[in-house]
Amino acid sequence: MADLIKEIHDMVVEYKKDAIAEKVDQALNEGKDAESILNNGLIAAMDVVGEKYSTGEVFIPEMLASAKTMKIALEKIKPQLQKDVVASNKGVVVIGTVKDDIHDIGKNLVAMMLEGAGFEVHDIGIDNSPENFISKAKEVNAQILGISALLTTTMPMMKETVEALKDEGLYEKIHVIVGGAPVSQQYADEIGARGYAADAVVAVEKIKSLLDS
Amino acid sequence: MLQFPVGTLRPSMRILSDEQVVAIHRAAMEIMNSYGMQVQDEEALQMFRDAGAIVEKDRVKLPEYIVQDALNSAPTRVVLSNQKGERSLFLEEGKTYFGTGSDTIYIIDPETGERRRVVVKDIGNFAKVSDALPNISFIMSMGNPIDVPSELVYMYEFAQMVKNSNLPIVFCSDSGPDTEKIWEMAAAVYGGDEQKLEQNPFLLHYVEPVSPLKFNRTSVQKILTGAKHNIPMSFPSGANAGSGAPITLAGAMAMGIAESFFGLVLQQLVRKGAPFVFGPNVSVMDQRTTVVSYGCPEWALTQGAVTDMGRFYNLPTWAYAGSTDSKRVDAQAGIESTFSVFAAMACRSNLVHDVGYIEYGTTSSLEQLVMANEIIDMARFFMNGIEVNDNTLALDVINRVKDQSTFLMDDHTLENFKTAQWYPKLLDRQNYPAWEKGGSLTMEDRLTKEVNKILSNYQPEPKSNDVLAKIDQILDAGL
Repeated sequence: MADLIKEIHDMVVEYKKDAIAEKVDQALNEGKDAESILNNGLIAAMDVVGEKYSTGEVFIPEMLASAKTMKIALEKIKPQLQKDVVASNKGVVVIGTVKDDIHDIGKNLVAMMLEGAGFEVHDIGIDNSPENFISKAKEVNAQILGISALLTTTMPMMKETVEALKDEGLYEKIHVIVGGAPVSQQYADEIGARGYAADAVVAVEKIKSLLDS
Repeated sequence: MLQFPVGTLRPSMRILSDEQVVAIHRAAMEIMNSYGMQVQDEEALQMFRDAGAIVEKDRVKLPEYIVQDALNSAPTRVVLSNQKGERSLFLEEGKTYFGTGSDTIYIIDPETGERRRVVVKDIGNFAKVSDALPNISFIMSMGNPIDVPSELVYMYEFAQMVKNSNLPIVFCSDSGPDTEKIWEMAAAVYGGDEQKLEQNPFLLHYVEPVSPLKFNRTSVQKILTGAKHNIPMSFPSGANAGSGAPITLAGAMAMGIAESFFGLVLQQLVRKGAPFVFGPNVSVMDQRTTVVSYGCPEWALTQGAVTDMGRFYNLPTWAYAGSTDSKRVDAQAGIESTFSVFAAMACRSNLVHDVGYIEYGTTSSLEQLVMANEIIDMARFFMNGIEVNDNTLALDVINRVKDQSTFLMDDHTLENFKTAQWYPKLLDRQNYPAWEKGGSLTMEDRLTKEVNKILSNYQPEPKSNDVLAKIDQILDAGL
């Protein structure tokens, strides 16, 4: 019984993305509980992948392939899950780059890693005004707003977004986390962002800890 | 009859065969013809459309003849003057010039050794030290200062470079309006003579598209403004393998070359004959850390390959060297910078930037710059080859000294020792007791000492008060 979930777990770790759907179907047909597949199969697997990344055993493309595999499985079990169980498990994140900044490689990486870790991620792409960030965050009831900037000239838009969030009275409710080459912990503190992450892996850890606290 | 002298081979290196060059060219052409580039600016879209490009919404595809036209009108050699108006960098076959890099976030403070944000004074210090170093031939800002208004950052950078050096300047800008102001400042250096500046530019505009295949609006605006004034330009994308470009170097290069040509075409549409320095920056994004490497062998390879492509297109080339991923100027910094400097020089890349970067281009270091100056010197000696003639074969000397114990006493040694050998300035060759007596200084110690010596003793030839006043006036007026 437990073996099928273990198999799914291992398939995520080994990023068998072409075979995972079939295996999940099989598990569901054999009466496996969707929530158990999620927690003991998928999310547990991504934790293992994260650990292996930290020790240098796993490279980024492999981690992303695992995340992709996990997402395919997640889509399969979603109809069976209690509504909002995914979101309530981890959290809802809105992520995008600031106004006038179209550099989005880092942001995309963070979004994929978050999905892999089981978050509900709404990627609003590039060139977002503070209003864009806020209206999407309201719409999906986000707990986390991830803002990215690559340029020192666009970085001030992060501050404006935080200010706009304050004006809307949402600052306490929505945690802002910032990232990008010119951004630092010091800058995050200055503008009142709750978190700063230097890379995608740290971003996931940081967001987990923000939501736990 | 007097016999011909033996020629000297200067070692050089090619990365690509003729067949490989053509294959990469074809791939780049396919990308330009068939996939196209996303252009995020209406004015540029219209210009491409008028020129005969295929424009589908915001995607521009270039038929081959448009690319050929641009290649035909771009000059095959670019000459940059120094700020005194003396033509000094000849970007043409076989010539290599090293210079610093653009906007880092941090600097290693030369006094405290602390990593801190860049302030405007640091730009001046880098310009000054570069001016003092014989192997640094052009300057870039080396930092993005936080103590000036953010919309005027590039103007302040330019002013600092003008005030602290007379070397040619490769500058960045934010968009069209500050490019115009920088042009005004540059003209002020020539006493307001814009025509002289157009003909003998001491500045080159560094503009970047965004990989993959995106031509952002601000870059368009920079080109429209710069080309109008005939400002020489490089348009290197960061076509970094595994992030903005395919993980495999050939594809990353082909895409980067295609991106680079979109800039060339737009520039030539604005002004036929405007000078262009060819080549993308093709490094790798490390698949373990997501860091874009500034010390990897891959970039050393691709820049050599880009130089081979430049020969094929008959355009001067852009490259990088003398930087490191290390957080400090240490053994890793020494290894990585030596590797890239040697490769860039062996391949004869023309305009080689980023000398002095550490921490994968996030931090700049005066020590790293001074160290690279020494590495360049060493590589220069190597590439000069071995002269073979009667004097250097020294047969008569051998015959003369053969019964004695050493060549040290012979006049031939006295007459030739200065040119026959390379003497390091900072690498240590003392015997142990002498080294110990001198304070047991490590290379790092000597670099810091040298940096501070230059900073306190060196004075670049100053600009006239009129020029300085005009520069400040333009700065104060803002945008």
